[in-house]
Amino acid sequence: MSAGFRDCLRQLEDAGELLRLKKAVDPRHLSALMAQAPQATFFEQIAGYPDWRAAGALLSTRRRLAVAMGCPEGAIATRFEEGIRRPIDARLVDRAPCQDVVLTGDDVDLTRLPLPMMHVKDGGPYLSGTLVVSRDPEYGRNVGSYRMMYRTPRETGIDLVSSSDMRVYYQRALDQGRPLPIAVAVGVHPFELLAASYKAPIAVDEFAIAGGLHGAPVDLVKCKTVDLEVPASAELVLEGELLPIGWTADEGPFGEFSHITGEVKWNPIFRVRAITHRRDPIFYVLQMPWENDWLAAPVIEAAGLQALRVASVEPVAIRAPVGGCCYWTLVASIKKRPGEGKNALLAMLSVAEVKLAIVTDDDIDIGNPDELDWAMTFRVQADQDVLVVPGARGKHIDPSVRAGTLGRGGLPTTAKLGIDATIPEGVPRSHYERLRYFAKDGVRLEDYQ
Amino acid sequence: MSPLAELLVAELSERPRHFGELVEAHMQMPWREFLLAWGEVRAADVLGRDDEGRYLVRTAAATR
Repeated sequence: MSAGFRDCLRQLEDAGELLRLKKAVDPRHLSALMAQAPQATFFEQIAGYPDWRAAGALLSTRRRLAVAMGCPEGAIATRFEEGIRRPIDARLVDRAPCQDVVLTGDDVDLTRLPLPMMHVKDGGPYLSGTLVVSRDPEYGRNVGSYRMMYRTPRETGIDLVSSSDMRVYYQRALDQGRPLPIAVAVGVHPFELLAASYKAPIAVDEFAIAGGLHGAPVDLVKCKTVDLEVPASAELVLEGELLPIGWTADEGPFGEFSHITGEVKWNPIFRVRAITHRRDPIFYVLQMPWENDWLAAPVIEAAGLQALRVASVEPVAIRAPVGGCCYWTLVASIKKRPGEGKNALLAMLSVAEVKLAIVTDDDIDIGNPDELDWAMTFRVQADQDVLVVPGARGKHIDPSVRAGTLGRGGLPTTAKLGIDATIPEGVPRSHYERLRYFAKDGVRLEDYQ
Repeated sequence: MSPLAELLVAELSERPRHFGELVEAHMQMPWREFLLAWGEVRAADVLGRDDEGRYLVRTAAATR
């Protein structure tokens, strides 16, 4: 059996990365407290929701993500690559903790859940850490992650604006005038969320990718009211359908993964038909923007590694830094042969999401911003080592693409920037030899105090 | 509509507000009661949005 949400909590606690709060907390204060905590946060009591506990900010730093993935901080991309290379099919089980309690009919009421208030300008309380399962008659099962805004006790909004497989499924259902059944699992292991954020080909089962990351099949259980399957160990499951109304309902704003408040969007509505959960459920609050950012990091870094290898460039290290929201910026160090600084940039900028790529030599610690600045200062001539690619695909939530001028449905473009901070051809490596202090290893400071 | 739902509609009729402003104005109410009232307002189909994402009561709906 693969690990679940609670196993992840235990891993974090064992690593000293989980803070337990014992006093009852109002759901309106969950996010603010998580933002102040230096660790992931576990809320042992929720005011007004005696049956529930809550946890969040589990993956808000590279260290916490690495703990959850069971690997060193510098290895999240290779760990992710290993997992997606060896998918393991999920298996179906008959009984599941996520169905200890089953609520249908008049008992379906989203206000029974400790829905958190997150950001000042959000359009409502949000479910942020969702694993949304859908099925298309032709393409099969799809698993993605979509934010959901509370509307009424039985309805939420869902952000289905960006292109995704489920958007295709919904459009196909809409064309036939029928709703799209979905199931929403909350409180699953991060491997399921990582698999969901990986842009796999449409026919690939994300649960098999999650299985590859676990090294064991993900146990799934049939839902109670829809023909879909969810992770058996989930804390909470919402079952229902996306109504065939198209992109007509207001949704948002929401604090986006770009660290900026987004705009009101027009989206479908999710009508909830059943709620199932564990007997002693833990509500997962995915902390925006940090957890969303870090869930992107292994995916973007792995894509960068693959692109470099295809370009026959040997990567040494790669980082999607948090300043670029672990998404727009990619930094790599390479073992360089002549010309490969530029080849590396072309490869890294081919990753669709990447807007800024920086490449440097293997003597630079790319996890150290000062070292990176040093390399960019002394290894770059702006007229020779900076590459600008105009007119590439952009994203609406980047304000600099001026999406507001495009009109409804318009798709933005962006310029991509590459900086080759490798030692220029013709300059001897010895010109970059660092200062060394005379007799540094011959004396000890404590001997003179 | 519950008294709280009516109050929320009245506040939004007065001027557009972010959801967070409404929440802040009613922190003394239990969260679940607030969300149930908000659900009533939503279900009444009287809300619109301004360019900043604030909720407002549509004029036609307010005069119904």
